[in-house]
Amino acid sequence: MSQIPNLENAPINLTEIRTRAQTELLNILRDIKGDKCLVIDPKLSGALSLLVQSSELKENGAELRHLTAEPIQTERTKVVFLVRAQPDLMRFICSTIHNDTSKGLHREYYLYFVPRRLVSCENVLAEEKVRELLNIGEFSLYMLPLDEDVLSFELDLTEKECLVEGDETAFWNIAKAIHNLEFSCGVIPNVRAKGKGAARVADILTRMQTEEPVNTSNMGIPLPEINTLVLLDREVDMITPMLTQLTYEGLIDEFLGVKNGAVELDASIMGNQQEGKKAKVPLNSSDKLFRETRDLNFEVVVQVLRQKATSMKQDYTEISTTTQTVSELKDFVKKLNSLPEMTRHINLAQHLTTFTSKSIFAERLDMEQTLVEAQSYDICFDYIEELLCKQEPLEKVLRLLILFSITNSGLPKKHFDYLRRELLISYGPEHINTLDSLEKAGLLRKQDSRGNWLTIKRALQLLVEDTDTTNPNDISYVFSGYAPLSIRLVQHAIRSGWRSLEEILKLLPGPQLETKRGGFSSIPSYDTLPGSLNSSEKLANGRRDLVLVVFVGGVTFAEISALRFLSSQEGMAYDLIIGITKVVNGRTLIETFISDWDK
Amino acid sequence: MAGVSVAAEWQLLYNRYYRKPELYQMEWKQVDLTRNKIACAPFAGPIAAIRDDAKIVHLYAESALRKLRIFTSSGRLTAEAVWRNPGGRLVGMSWTDDLTLACITQDGTVYSYSVHAKLLGTFSLGRECFDNSVVDCLFWGNGVVCITEAFEMLAVPDFKAPRAVKLADCGLEELPHCMAVIEPQYAKSGGVEVLLGIGDHVLLVDEGGIQTLAAGIGPLQKMVLSRKGEFVASFTHDGRLLVMSSDFSKEFIDYTCESALPPDQLAWCGSDAVLLYWEDILLMVGPHDEPVRYIYDEPIILIPECDGVRILSNTTMEFLHRVPDSTVSIFGIGSISPPALLYDALEHFDRRSAKAAENLKLICSSLPEAVESCIDAAGYEFDISLQRTLLRAASYGQAFSSHFRRDSVRELCQMLRVLNAVRDVNIGIPLSLQQYKLLTPSVLINRLINAHKHLLALRLSEYLGLSQEVVIMHWTCTKISASAMIPDATLLQSLLDKLKICKGISYAAVAAHADKSGRRKLASMLVEHEPRSSKQIPLLLSIGEEHSALVKATESGDTDLVYLVMFHIWKKTRPLARDLFIKYARCYKHEFLKDFFLSTGQLQEVAYLLWKESWELAKEPRAKGSSFGPRIKLIEKASNLFAESREHMFESKAAEEHAKLLRIQRELEITTKQAIFLDSSVSDTIRTCIVLGNHRAANKVRAEFKVSDKRWYWLKCFALATIQDWDALEKFSREKRPPIGYRPFVEACVDAGEKAEALKYIPKLSDPSERAEAYAKIGMAKEAADAASQSKDSELLARLRESFSQNARGSSIFDTLRDRLSFQALS
Repeated sequence: MSQIPNLENAPINLTEIRTRAQTELLNILRDIKGDKCLVIDPKLSGALSLLVQSSELKENGAELRHLTAEPIQTERTKVVFLVRAQPDLMRFICSTIHNDTSKGLHREYYLYFVPRRLVSCENVLAEEKVRELLNIGEFSLYMLPLDEDVLSFELDLTEKECLVEGDETAFWNIAKAIHNLEFSCGVIPNVRAKGKGAARVADILTRMQTEEPVNTSNMGIPLPEINTLVLLDREVDMITPMLTQLTYEGLIDEFLGVKNGAVELDASIMGNQQEGKKAKVPLNSSDKLFRETRDLNFEVVVQVLRQKATSMKQDYTEISTTTQTVSELKDFVKKLNSLPEMTRHINLAQHLTTFTSKSIFAERLDMEQTLVEAQSYDICFDYIEELLCKQEPLEKVLRLLILFSITNSGLPKKHFDYLRRELLISYGPEHINTLDSLEKAGLLRKQDSRGNWLTIKRALQLLVEDTDTTNPNDISYVFSGYAPLSIRLVQHAIRSGWRSLEEILKLLPGPQLETKRGGFSSIPSYDTLPGSLNSSEKLANGRRDLVLVVFVGGVTFAEISALRFLSSQEGMAYDLIIGITKVVNGRTLIETFISDWDK
Repeated sequence: MAGVSVAAEWQLLYNRYYRKPELYQMEWKQVDLTRNKIACAPFAGPIAAIRDDAKIVHLYAESALRKLRIFTSSGRLTAEAVWRNPGGRLVGMSWTDDLTLACITQDGTVYSYSVHAKLLGTFSLGRECFDNSVVDCLFWGNGVVCITEAFEMLAVPDFKAPRAVKLADCGLEELPHCMAVIEPQYAKSGGVEVLLGIGDHVLLVDEGGIQTLAAGIGPLQKMVLSRKGEFVASFTHDGRLLVMSSDFSKEFIDYTCESALPPDQLAWCGSDAVLLYWEDILLMVGPHDEPVRYIYDEPIILIPECDGVRILSNTTMEFLHRVPDSTVSIFGIGSISPPALLYDALEHFDRRSAKAAENLKLICSSLPEAVESCIDAAGYEFDISLQRTLLRAASYGQAFSSHFRRDSVRELCQMLRVLNAVRDVNIGIPLSLQQYKLLTPSVLINRLINAHKHLLALRLSEYLGLSQEVVIMHWTCTKISASAMIPDATLLQSLLDKLKICKGISYAAVAAHADKSGRRKLASMLVEHEPRSSKQIPLLLSIGEEHSALVKATESGDTDLVYLVMFHIWKKTRPLARDLFIKYARCYKHEFLKDFFLSTGQLQEVAYLLWKESWELAKEPRAKGSSFGPRIKLIEKASNLFAESREHMFESKAAEEHAKLLRIQRELEITTKQAIFLDSSVSDTIRTCIVLGNHRAANKVRAEFKVSDKRWYWLKCFALATIQDWDALEKFSREKRPPIGYRPFVEACVDAGEKAEALKYIPKLSDPSERAEAYAKIGMAKEAADAASQSKDSELLARLRESFSQNARGSSIFDTLRDRLSFQALS
């Protein structure tokens, strides 16, 4: 199965977006005649694999290499670099070129920046005196469909970059991607943003519209396809990513790590005989069974798989014991076609249960629950202290420590210093840098005000008792009882805008913003929508309004699942598309904060 | 009937009618075409006139100064300039496609003038022309061919790339009788091809070589090619007009004229008639039958157009063209064709005569064609009232006809409105409909702008739905150039008033023009209004507004622009600062940053840098041993810097402890002779000591760092379990009653999978529920259940039962699943 997802069921024309990117890339290759060596920034190869098959690149005369510090070795006389605009990558390019010149090799060099060229990079090239040797171009890949309802801005944006280093480059890129989207879908009339980065993106987007207006009258788009844009900064909700995700896809990411819509694991787990080999399993909605199960709570996935297997076994016995009509046989064979999918997911699920059945897993979920409840300070403190003493893996401890700090609006000075010192003693003094970054990001800090977590939790009904994971009626099923704060906010933003929520929003980090754009004053904003006449009409004509939810900073699979759940609810008058910078989980998010002194 | 008077002015040539309506009475006075060199631009373009220096000057009657004068097609003077150019006689001049006037003098210099008679530039055709004067030249659309006294031929294929190429030497001994050019776009070779009438044959000359054509045709006196170069019309020495294909292989017309004297002018009228002009007489020859004769008592100039010929005389401008079929069908004498009847019906209708209905009845079946013809005929008319009548006839007919493309009347009206506007004598561009279609609206608007008819151009763009940006932009730049005396603020206001008409116009481009025109202040005022930061900021930099550029770049959120400004500032100012910046960028060393943080008073940041530096020293392989001293020093410095502010006491102490740890670790490495301690954590150091069996050292480190009992017990239990020293573990448990209970002992054993060892400590767990879970972990279900029931914690009991049953069932479930799937082999 291909890693390139099928986009036919997308609510807006995502295929067009992807085709445009594909064409642009292939044209770049075609315009450079003859054989060439295509040198790819390793961080881009994932994105490219969602765009074109590598065989297609080869058909266009390209031999593939990854860009590393080592000079490129190739026989080809034309070298094409395809890289993100990062100054440090420029050094690698320079070293290849210098290496060639020192050997007296003359090649044609082409450099394509993704998504656009930057002065800072070109300056490096100029300093190294290779600027004139390069033909420079752009591959303007600002956005890429990851799945039929998920768009990725292909930014390796880390929370650290935004929160600690104050680099805003990514915000501009996100705004640019949305603005580009508007050229084909019309200006999005309602924008709701929460959090510093989100507000900044909204701000830049408005600015772009004045600079380069999407002209609605000339393009012949009568109405915008997307009704509302909800921008949410990760900093608003750092609780959710710290919790262990309990959806199928979320759990796979937690334990095995999903990269560009695929997971890599030992072939033996997938029932393959070759020992030691790695197997790559694509995970996207082209896989029907995965499409059905990815967003379910893992407990339920096990049941679903069991059910399916049982019914198949039944069919099998029937087929072998009783005589069947041809059409019944046909149905059975059809079912057999889904066998590889069944096997794949049964293998995966079984592998996951080896982790989830451990008592330590249950213990951890218990503790996460206790932390979020924020009623038993001492139990939490003792537990974390013990983890530090036992030198449990740092990112696991930090996940809980961050939860502890946020739910208590920071730690009392005495405990703050104590836990920090304990951490240094366990993991080494260089983690002073980790602590510094976390503090600057506001994730681990000294208590300076009265806690407001309890208010937020209550007002937004984040903890839901008696969650039925099999037939859920609320998003809280994704964490078996905790409704992700971020998605609750989105839920409100879609339903009634920020107005009704103002008091609570003030308690969360960053500014909030709500604007109407593009002279669509005549369009009702559906401020009070669900259940209104309007919504049923919309459903009647087969098309629901669209809401684009963009996460500035990472987002977890569990949150995506929760959004899908919202979208699939009956009373819901909207389809949702999700824009993400990248998928994270607690571990990957925290890893960026961990001391880089060793690097 | 009204139609009669229209047709009365037509002349019949073979089976076609021709007419030559007067476009203008020329507005000029005292311009004698015979005494001037004249260049008329096609597509109803301007007329350039300059006194012919080959003619004797009439003293007193005309000025001795030669003036280049530019007129519109209606003869209105738009610009003039005194001709003082050196280079000898003016050999020829002509308008290029983009309406610049190219003038060639004897020495081969080409002077380019704008429609405002401003010299735009000059270039030379080369040495050959300088040495041997140019004697003759022949222009076409965008190029020229010259012949020198030495009979060399040169061509400029395109004035846009002013470069002369030499054509093949054809060994001439005398000037050719006549010359014609096949334009590159129509030539077979793709380059310039020249036809020369030499002796009794024709030479085809291009860059590469020579070809003889039409040998024995007899000396040709005049030669002219049709517009697309497929036919050639020529006048022979014995007074015959020949029309042949341009390769002289086929003959279409051979007409013997009354005079063997070659005509002054020979021109194509459309593609099916040829005009010959001798003084007083203009002869139009068609494919068959008698030619048409027009008498002129004043000199004329023939200006070929795509659909006819304009005839310029001292007093009038006429347009000779074939009468279109639709017009013939309406106005032809005695015509009873449906269009004529429709036209007639309208007249009856206007007179309220019932005959209107009769007419309509007669033509009801062909009404759509009749309507179409009326619309078509209206398009060819120059007379506005006739246009109106024809269109009224069309819409009258349309009312009775259901299937008709209703847009066509509207489209034609739109085009006619545009044409009538530019045909106005004040504008003087008498374009026909075909010419307009060929020229395209946007070129027309560019020509209007070029002639500084901005208002009309603006109105037309608006009317045609074209972008007004071009017009406004040109107007603004022209206005700036022309307003040297107007103060900045006033000028700015009048510019802004117009610029705001056009959304999305580039203020930066206007500002750049202002800057180029030496008005930097105006430029900076204008660039303020540019909404696109990516255009605004580079300009702000170029006019020296770095600070404002930096502010705008930051606001835009585009970090690339911020970098652009920063690099610009660094490059421009302070070389030292620049070097430092480059150094920072190159090595990513801390020096630059450190200076920066020091200057901004962020001491803690400096401290972090020092600390990091100390850490990196350890990573340098060659400096492993020797770096120790410097490392300690750096950390202590960091500690002191942290201590400067109260908020960083924790960091200060942490740095102190780090230094202490390093010293202890170094000592340990020396005593144990093992390089395994440096840069590990306190916990790891203690564990290493225990693993090495050095309990004294472990205790010492524990004391130095006041390690808590909790940590100490966990650490030691796990360390002993790692080396599987179960005796030591047991001894440790007996040292004293463990202050944090026996859990560390149990977990250490359970983790190591030592069930027996674990059982030593599980009973000692004080909390029955802990005990229950511990039993559960090592799979002793019964004991676990006992302990759980002891704890009277029903929830725990339930959970344990669940976990046991689930574990067992869970695994067996998957086993069965696998079994069931084994029939995969069947498929």
